[in-house]
Amino acid sequence: MAHTVLVTGATGMIGQALVPLLAHRNDVGAIFALTHTSEYMGPSSKVTPVRGDVTASPDLGIAPEFSREILDRTNVIVHAAANTRFSASLDEARTVNLEGTKNLLAFASHCPRLEALAALSTVYVAGKRTGTICEEDLDHTSGFVNSYEQSKYEAELLLRETMSALPISVLRLSTVLGSTTGEVRRMAAIHHALRLYYNSLAPMIPGKADGLVDLIAVDYAAAAVEHFAVEDFLAGRTFHICGGESALTLARLLELTREAFLRYRSSWRKRAIEMPAIVDLPTFELFARSAEEVGDNILRSSVSIIKHFVPQLVYSKIFSDVECTRSLQAKGLLKPSVLEFYPRVVRWLVESGWGEHGTLAGGAGA
Amino acid sequence: MQVGISAIEYVLGSDTVSVDELEARGALDSPAARLSEFGFSCARLSRDSSHTLATAATNKLLCATGVDRASIGALFYAGATPGCHAVETLDPLSAFNYPVAQLQYELELTHAAAFGVSQLGCLGLMASVTLAKDFLLSSKSAGRALCVSADVLPAGCKREMIYNVISDGACAVLLEKECDHNRILAYRQVTKGYYWNSIAQKNEITAAYFPTARNIVRDTLADADLDSSDISCILPHNVSLRSWEILLGLIQIDRKKLFAENIAKMAHVIAADNWINLRDAAETGRLHRGDKLLLFTFGFGANWACMVLEH
Repeated sequence: MAHTVLVTGATGMIGQALVPLLAHRNDVGAIFALTHTSEYMGPSSKVTPVRGDVTASPDLGIAPEFSREILDRTNVIVHAAANTRFSASLDEARTVNLEGTKNLLAFASHCPRLEALAALSTVYVAGKRTGTICEEDLDHTSGFVNSYEQSKYEAELLLRETMSALPISVLRLSTVLGSTTGEVRRMAAIHHALRLYYNSLAPMIPGKADGLVDLIAVDYAAAAVEHFAVEDFLAGRTFHICGGESALTLARLLELTREAFLRYRSSWRKRAIEMPAIVDLPTFELFARSAEEVGDNILRSSVSIIKHFVPQLVYSKIFSDVECTRSLQAKGLLKPSVLEFYPRVVRWLVESGWGEHGTLAGGAGA
Repeated sequence: MQVGISAIEYVLGSDTVSVDELEARGALDSPAARLSEFGFSCARLSRDSSHTLATAATNKLLCATGVDRASIGALFYAGATPGCHAVETLDPLSAFNYPVAQLQYELELTHAAAFGVSQLGCLGLMASVTLAKDFLLSSKSAGRALCVSADVLPAGCKREMIYNVISDGACAVLLEKECDHNRILAYRQVTKGYYWNSIAQKNEITAAYFPTARNIVRDTLADADLDSSDISCILPHNVSLRSWEILLGLIQIDRKKLFAENIAKMAHVIAADNWINLRDAAETGRLHRGDKLLLFTFGFGANWACMVLEH
């Protein structure tokens, strides 16, 4: 029997890439794409846009005339809706990431055919932990860099509690950069940070030169989510969809960025813009505080863009993705080389003027 | 052959005006309390012209050292503001009435070749010192060179530039061949023309300031075969303490090594700070023979400069 998949956050960064993949599958008969917007059409006739909001209530704000059908037919749920805005207050982040998950679980508990619930999370539930982070790791007391990390951590605790009652798998993604072709459909904090560097507004980054920055391509991430949600669903398991050992060091990433700026916008060379200095956290915080106290709006907003996530770079860690990689390799899905797709993404950003006509950062997805 | 700095003298504007008073006069953009927090307590305002201050500082140096005026082979006159490089009237010929020549004449520096050093913002005097050193090294006959900077902002103008309180003042620096005092071990200057528009690119300049400063300090230390731990004292340009604290984090030098006393006392005397600080740090006994000193400054334009001296 063909799968019927409910995707929350269908218009988000992952949702946008995932829904077409699901729609192409012969074993997927229908997709309910939950979204805030009424404009969303869906990429195929298999896709039924459903207006709703995971924060609304346990019925996800879905109109009653659709709700019953979705509950009865859905056997796979991909929960991708999230508030990924790093600067959100903890209350705002919890509203979508924790309460939204709670609502989703309540909804899922009324799906009689439910076989798989793949909940998207972030590798950064590890917060300020350092060292090697394994896929099954969760509990810690190291603290968090921002409300996104904390609220997703709290959501994972809830998901783990519910694993005995529902077939749940957690898929933790690292920083999703753009597609392997370079295109960025949705601007996020990292893209804005690159723009600050390009425009000479990024003086320093907290971190360590040899600390790893874990980036993944959105098409790889979406294919991995598709795989673990539909093809190789394993209830009770957690997987890291990330760069793992192939992640680049911060120093190398800055070099690559500079090389790409120079290659794809030769006029950038004459600006002679310095690479952001890699500094310790107190120095960065002193600069950020000063810019907020005295800087004008441009400098203040520049600092605001990066201060909520770059401090994560101070907490050097490597995400083990052994189990994830094993499963994906068995299917023939290989991790794209960050050395290849990163420059393409930078090129796309430079040549498109950071997608001037695209959507802007973060936001709460349905 | 080596060139060293044998004497420094300076004069400041005669009026000491507190930051609170500057605020009351509408001469600040930021609240006085904020500027106090950044280490400033007052500005020194001059009723005299930059030429008068330059003359006073140079005379002071010549009297204090007793050097034969005829032994000065070169006079470098630096100033950040355009006003100190011209004595203009409506006659177009007056554009060539150069203060450096006037100074050479009035001070009877009859053998000094005169050079005006401009468009370098606050690093005019540091650039002059390195030009003077090169002049002496390339000249068989000249044994001494004088570098002078003087800046007086127009009466009634703002006294704050990007969170820094600005004072009027002048400073004279004497360089001599075979002087083993304050030997210049290394000097670097970086000009980034992209930031030439100081008003339109205020934010970009603020952001570029730190990584560029970090790099030039690192490279100058490398030129001198030193690392940051070898530095005994930093003689700063007197910008806000806050920005120095951030920069010290970047260059990994202990706050205790920063000679910051003059920031509160006299604020930012445009091109003269590092040299006033060198003089005062030596005067207070803070410096010892052989100490490695690091001087860093930034000038709108946009220029970064760093010098390492051996005291």
